[in-house]
This record gives sequence, C-alpha cells and structure tokens, in this order.
Amino acid sequence: MTANDLLTARDAAPDGPASGATAPPASPSTRARRKKWKGRLVLNIALSIGALTMILPFVWMVLTSLKSPAELAEFPPTFLPKVWEWSNYPEALRAAPFALYFRNSFIISASHTIITLVFASMAGYALARINFKGREFIFLGFVAMLMIPTYTKIVPQFLLVKFMPLFGGNDILGQGGFGWLNSWWALIIPGGLSATAIFLFRQFYLSLPRELEEAARLDGLGDFRIYAQIYTPLIKPALATVALLTFQESWNNFLWPLLVTTRDDLRVIQVGLAVFQQLDGTAWQYLMAGTTMATVPMVLLFLFCQKYFIQGFTNAGIK
Amino acid sequence: MTQLDNRATEVVAVAGRQPRKPPVRRGRNKGRMGLIMVAPAVLHIGLWTAIPVLATLALSFTDYDIFDLPAWIGIENYVEIFSDPVFRQATWNTLVYTFWTVPASMAIAMIIAVALNQNLKLRTWFRTAFFLPQVTATVAIAMVWLWIYNPQQGLLNAALSIVGIPGQAWLADPAWSLPAVILVGAWQGIGIKMLIYIAALQNVDESLYEAASVDGASTIRKFFAITVPMLKPATFFVLIISIIGAFQVFDQIYVLTDGGPANATTMMTYEVYRSAFQNFEMGMASAQSVVLFVLLLAMTLIGRRVTKGDDE
Amino acid sequence: MSIRKARTRRLARGASFGLAAVMALGLVSCASDPGDAGVSSELSGEITMLTPIYEGSAGQQLLEEELLPQFYAQYPDITVSVDYTNFARLNEKLTTGVVSGLVPDVMMMGVGWVEAFAERGVLANLTDGGLSVQSLEDTMTPQIVDAGIWDDDVYGIPIMLDARFGVARMDLLREAGYNAPPQTWDELVEMAEALTVRGTDGSLKRTGFDMLTIEPRQMFETALFSAGGDLFTEDNTAPAFNSKAGVTALTQIVDLFHTSDVEDIGFSAPNATVNPLINGRAAMAIAHNNVWTQTELANPDILPDLEPFLIPGDDPSMFVGGTIATVSASSKRPAAAQALAEFLASPGPALAANQQRGNVPALTELLDSDYAQDNRLVQFAMENLEVAKREGGPGKWLGLRGEVAPAIQEAILQNKTPKVALNDLAEVFQKKLDR
Repeated sequence: MTANDLLTARDAAPDGPASGATAPPASPSTRARRKKWKGRLVLNIALSIGALTMILPFVWMVLTSLKSPAELAEFPPTFLPKVWEWSNYPEALRAAPFALYFRNSFIISASHTIITLVFASMAGYALARINFKGREFIFLGFVAMLMIPTYTKIVPQFLLVKFMPLFGGNDILGQGGFGWLNSWWALIIPGGLSATAIFLFRQFYLSLPRELEEAARLDGLGDFRIYAQIYTPLIKPALATVALLTFQESWNNFLWPLLVTTRDDLRVIQVGLAVFQQLDGTAWQYLMAGTTMATVPMVLLFLFCQKYFIQGFTNAGIK
Repeated sequence: MTQLDNRATEVVAVAGRQPRKPPVRRGRNKGRMGLIMVAPAVLHIGLWTAIPVLATLALSFTDYDIFDLPAWIGIENYVEIFSDPVFRQATWNTLVYTFWTVPASMAIAMIIAVALNQNLKLRTWFRTAFFLPQVTATVAIAMVWLWIYNPQQGLLNAALSIVGIPGQAWLADPAWSLPAVILVGAWQGIGIKMLIYIAALQNVDESLYEAASVDGASTIRKFFAITVPMLKPATFFVLIISIIGAFQVFDQIYVLTDGGPANATTMMTYEVYRSAFQNFEMGMASAQSVVLFVLLLAMTLIGRRVTKGDDE
Repeated sequence: MSIRKARTRRLARGASFGLAAVMALGLVSCASDPGDAGVSSELSGEITMLTPIYEGSAGQQLLEEELLPQFYAQYPDITVSVDYTNFARLNEKLTTGVVSGLVPDVMMMGVGWVEAFAERGVLANLTDGGLSVQSLEDTMTPQIVDAGIWDDDVYGIPIMLDARFGVARMDLLREAGYNAPPQTWDELVEMAEALTVRGTDGSLKRTGFDMLTIEPRQMFETALFSAGGDLFTEDNTAPAFNSKAGVTALTQIVDLFHTSDVEDIGFSAPNATVNPLINGRAAMAIAHNNVWTQTELANPDILPDLEPFLIPGDDPSMFVGGTIATVSASSKRPAAAQALAEFLASPGPALAANQQRGNVPALTELLDSDYAQDNRLVQFAMENLEVAKREGGPGKWLGLRGEVAPAIQEAILQNKTPKVALNDLAEVFQKKLDR
C-alpha cells in the first residue's frame, strides 16, 4: 500500500471508510462491541501493571525523600514513611543554591532545544528530501559521530573550548587565556546540536509522502519554503519529541558543565545534586528530594508536549 | 612554540570551520539549497564532534599519560587490547547486553506505543508513566534499582519470597549481575522508544486500519501488515540509536556494580573510562574507543541490513 | 556504494587522519606548555583552589565566611577563587586541568595521589618554599607526613584523614557473653561465628563480622597491614602484597566467608543505604570512622556501644586515607598558594574542616579538641596513628589501584585461591611498574 494509494483513497472517500454505509446486523455488532469492551479492559489492566513497574522506582524515590535517616536505617525497611519528613525538601534546598542551579539548567536546556529544533530539522530535511552530492556520506558521518563514547571526546572538546581564539583573553591562536571556560558559550554551544536529533528528523521527513513536495513545487515553492511551510508543520510530533529529548538530555547532563565551569554561579542542577553524594556517605533523603525536584519539571514538560503528539495525518499541503 | 605548533593551532582554529562538502552539481539549484540547509549542522558537528573523534584516532597510536607529550607507539595499544582478558570480557559483556536489551525493549515499546495510540481515557497518564524512567537521571534510577536488587531489604527478593522462590544476591553474584544490569537497561530504554513510535504512529492513516477491518483482518494481522511496515523509518532509527546507546552504557554500571563483581559486568565504555581517568592512559583509552567504534559500526551495518536498509 | 564515493571517502579519511594527527599533537603540545608569563613570589594576587571538601552550602559557608576571612586578615593582598567539586570527579577535573595547562594553584587530593602527580612534575616542591619534613613531623606523626612526601621533599600537607579499623557493637557482644573486642585473629573468628545469626531457612539475619560495606581494596589493605604485610617493597619497585602475610590475610578473609559462614556474598556493599552496624545487622565490622556521624543521625542511642579495635594479627594496624593540600608547579603565585595551603592545614581551619565531615584531623594536637574527645572513633584513630599505614607508594599507584578490587572479589567468590589471585595481581602490577 503506497502513499499514493493512500492519498487516492482519501480523496475518493472524504467522509471516511465505507463501514458506515454497510452496517452489519445487530447481534454480531453487539457481540463485537462487547468483545471490544472486554479487550479494552484487558488492555487497561495490562498497561496499568506495566505502568506500575515504571512508576514504582519513582514512588520509592519520593517516599525515601520523606523519611528520616533513622527510618532509612531500619530493618526490615518500611515502605511508607512513619513520619512524613516534609522538612527534607526545604533542607535540601538550603544545602546548595538550587534556585540558581535550576535557572542555569533551564537556560542551557532551553537554548539547546531551540538550536536543535531549528538546525537539526533543517539538516534532517535536507538529508531526507533533497538530493545533493555527498548526502549519504554526510548522513553516515553524522551517525558515525555517535559511536564514540563521551569520555573519549570530553578531553579534546575541553581543549577546543579552552583554546577558542579571541575569547576569554585568548589571542588569535587561542593562547594565553581561558577561551570559553566559565562562560555561557561553553555551556550552550558545544552541546547545542546532536546527530541523534538530525537522524530523527530525517526519518520523520522520510515518512511523509513525496506527493506533497511535488504538489508544492508545482505551486512554485522552493526547497526552503517547502521545508518550512509544508513539511515541518506536519511533523509536530517529531518536533515535540526532539524538543523533549533534547531538553531532558541537557537537563540531566553532569560531566560537561562540571568540567567547563569553576564558578558556582554557573553550576547546573546535576552538579548541585552531587553535593549529597560525598565519598564517605550519601545523604539519601536529601539526594532523593533533590532528584525529585529536578525530575518534576521534566514531567511537566512531558505533559505539556502531550498535545503535540496527538495529531493525525493532515494533508494541509494538498489542495 | 615551534613553527609546527603554530601551524597546528592555526589549523585547529580554522579547520573546524571548513565544511567537508563535495562540490555542488552544476546547474542544480536543488542540490545547493540542500547543502546550505545542512551546513550549520555539518559545521557544528564537524567542530565539536568530528575533530575530537579524529584526535582520538590519532591518539590511539600514542602513549599519552597527560603529563608528558604523546609518544608515538604505533599499534602497541591495539596489540595490548587484544591480549587483555578484561577488555575481552568487557567486549563480550557489551555484546550480550546489546543483544538482550535492544530487541526486547524495542518490541515492548512498539506494542505499548500501539496500545497507547488507542483512545484510552488514561492515555496521557500511561504515557507519562512509561516515560518517567527516561526523564529521571540515570544515576537516580540506578540507585532505585540498587534498593530493588538488595538481597535482604529489596523489593525483588521480597516479591519472590511471596511466591516461594529463593532470592539471589543479584548484583554481587557474578552469575546474576549481568542479567540484573540488562534488566535495568531494557526497562529504562522503553520510554524513549515508545515515544518515538507514538510520534511515528501519528502519521499512520486511520483509514488504512478501517479498510483492513472491513476486509476482516484481525488485530494481530493489522499490526503486522500495516503498523510494522509503516513504522519502518522509525524502527530503523530506533534500532540504530538503541544499538549505539547500548554500546555506550555507562551510568548504570558505574552506580550499580562498578564493573564487578570481579569484572563480571564491565563494559567497553567502562574500560575506556578506567583507562582515561583512573589509569591516566589516554592513548589506551583512545585505542579502546576506536575498537568500540569499529565494532559498533559493524553492528550498525548489520542492523541496517536487518531492516533491509529500507529506511526510505 | 560507487567507486567514486569510496575513493572520495578514502581520500577524505586519509586527509582527516593526517589532519587529526597534526591537530592532536598541536593541541596537546600547546596545552602542556607552561608559559613564561611572570611568576611572582609575592604574597599577592588572585589564586585558584580546587577542593572536593567544603562541599555544599554548609561547607562553602564555612570556607568562605569563616576561614577565608581569617586568611585575608593575614594576607590582605591575596584573593582566592574556589572551585568546588566532589571526590568522584576529581580525576576528571585534574586531568582536564593538567592537559589544558590550567592547573589550579591549590589542589586538594587524596592519599596516594601525591606521588603520582609529584613524580610527573605537576606539584610544587613545598620544601623549597620553606616547609621542611622535620617541621611537619613536629606536628603530625611521621606515617601521616609521609603521605605528602616524594623524593624526601614535601609536596603536600595532610589536612584530614579517614581511617578503617574494626568496630564492634558492644551491646550485641555482651548479649553473647563477650566483654571486649577480639585481641587475636582466632578470637575474632570464634566471636564472629558465635555472633552470626541465621534464620531457620538459612538466611543471614546478622553477620558476626561484616567485611563488605567497605570498598574491597581498602578492606583487604586493612587486613594486609594487620597481618604484617605491605603493598610494595621499600623502594616501591615491586609489589609485596602477595607475600606470606598477604596470602594469610586474604585466606583468613575468604575463610570467614566460606568456612565459618560468617557473611554471605551480597549481604552488604559499599553502596548500601545503611551500614549494617547501625541497624544491628552486623555485630562487628571493618568500618570507616564516619560510622560515628552516620550513627549520630540514624540511631544515636547506640553511640556508647560502638567500640573501635585494631584488626588483630601479627602487626595490628589501621588503614588510613585522607585529603592533602598541594600546590601546582606551574602556579604563577607559588608563595601565595603555599600560604593558603599551609593556612588550610593549620589547627583552626583543619579542625573546622574535619568537624564538618566527621573525619580524623591530621594534626596531633587536635586530639585534645572537644570534637575529637566527643567522637570515640575519631579519638581512637588519632590515638593509633603510629600504627597507621596508607596505600600508595610508587608514582604509578593511581593506575594500579583499580586492579585490586576485582582480584579480591575473585578470591572471595572462590574463582581463584587467595594465593593465585594475589600472584596474578602482582604480575599485573609488576608489568605496569616496569613499563
């Protein structure tokens, strides 16, 4: 079943499939409906069990954050706290300037998301829809770049940041100063784009039918406008997905911000949370409280992006 | 600084700015816009990723302990890697880990995505629940699983004892530690795959299913005849990204087992980390990364063939 | 893939490779260049400090609002900017610092690190800056001073220590009829067996002697030292832990697991939520001195019952690690940096830092402080510093220590006999030392 058939079928029957016209007799229909209801129930139960296993660790994390050290030491361990130590949260917040860290993480994550949404979608579209020389090579190159572990790249990346010419006291050859260290540049630019996002966009653009492009070209639209006005609005779910994933990856990033900043006012959330994990002992209740607070914004963001996932296939580009 | 150093630095400063693009086809406007659109990404990734990767490749042929300059030693690092039983164990563990986590979480994610694409009332909450592990920092997730796996106080053994199955020392027993880590990896990986599939499913036309229903197709048949093929581009992406992700597993190992017990759960990235930041052997770490890269590239190409390279 | 594409790829790869080689060497050589901008011997200017201690708001407050103002009162022309990290990531911070030539002026590092960095010329010779070994030994025990010494000169000043030794729950011991911690190894085995409690199904309810909550390498080292063994030979050129003493120590540990059934694999771990001593799941243990502060928070009632003891053996000792203040060799303000390092190691600041973390002060005089007198475990550690031994020795120690834990685990899991495990480890060590 090609996209062509699909479009032809739609255009032929704009009111939807023919099932409405040929309604089956009452009895099998009722049976079918009951079967559907039973099926739905089973589905809901199965999903609930699955969801429970996914949520359980999160629940444990929250419950741990509300216990006292004495209770955490108990054996056998309790599930619900005996005394709900809500004070753990303000105490955790006092342990480090988390409001500042939140703000910093937010700025960095939002910047990464915007940069990625713009440039990765452009690149993804070009790789999917425009036939230019070297396209395969570039695409495979992007994917290959994902295959080197972070710890290997981190030192050369650090050096690139430090020796950035004409910044932070460096001369044109990058000598003498600090380059981008301890600046927003270092926090925002290097992590701004990821090959994963480009890859994802490419796949989504590929899944759209070619006919839209052909129709648009007949209208005289150039490549860029086809990208911006026709294709991209159709992949809102992909945009939401990439935005979510990029934001979340930035939000949870720890090592890079730790390495390129020495000043406390540029610290990010994950680095801040590490204060609860000292070598000789972990303050579990505070660490879990901090992690819970760091996770909540991500959950909210996810809920916010939900509505962009619910979007059917629209053929706004076809007259 | 010597002349060479000067030149090298110049090159560093400028090289990243040169896009690695072949010349544009004459007279084809189309191709040119493509290059323009892909240029920022090429520049960015070229500078921040490609250069470090190339530096890694170069450093893999050196002995570099960060205190002195790198000293050229040819393929000595590679020779040592191939005779190192710990790295061999790490490679095997990585392959096993990938083999088990990737297909399992992909299949589960696809099924859940399809299920959540139905018009269920609690749909949004289910989606949030399944995505929750992805959104929480891996370090926190790993700590939660430490509790679950705890032989005396943990959830898993408590649950098993209700059913009468004796509990194990999941993370301390070399026989169980790798499966335990695999379970965590598969479990955590479901969220993002599910998300991608849900997004991809939005583009699958409802009328296809309706037409198939009219023809009398069962749910299962519809799934395999319509859903799976329509999700091919997404599946290709998920497969490749999952394999790459599985090969780069690190945080779970770091928190759950530290590569133990007795190297039973060490992975290639963990060995790279140890070489680089515990042993201060950057050259060796680079060589190990190259080996990882080559292996991963091979797996990716296999993966591409498995999905019949049909990503278009 | 077309031939043309393949050729283009090969060319591109070749060119990139050459480029990368040049760049890598260039980057690194420029990075390692120490620079020749003015090195000042004045006590002025801005200096940077990297520290894994003083963390969190409490630590930062202590450092910046109480300690540094005192420092500024003495040295009004110096300003300090502090980079807080945590121990787990100290390696990465130091590595990027060294590789890029941006080494902080003052660095706090662990015991066993000084020799590695001093040997490679990263640390400044503090003896040249006026601090002699003798002057340090006036205020600290020689074993501790030794941690900061390389090649007979001072390269680091110990500020805080953390120790591992035996700790017993006297309330549980008295229940079983014992009035004192074990004095000999045989006593320890007997007591451990008697104090181990198992349920009717064989599951372990309480271990008589917990060995798993401590990191395996340090656990073995504690036992090794008490058995009279050492990690390396006197001249640090060869491993010595596979000596008779070492094999005895490891065999004794393994026997506790498998012959005496005192503890089960997996019963506890270094990343456990709570130390089993605190909730009574262990009657005795090899423990860290900070069990005291953890118990203060979680179960203060049993504090009087925590009784420290040296692990018995031919040469009862205690394992000691710690934090040492060092100065960078490439510092532009070495005098100012050394002044800061010495200040942080001086009695007032050192006591405050130790108190904040519940650790053991390095300065002998601080034994009389209220803090040490109130903390039985810290007091014990300070009283026994003469028999304290540390890990480290050769400059390559940092690259070797990661190999120890797997070897110990192999022995405990009975994959290898203790003798074979230690000999294999010694072989690995020797190979790396000889490189």
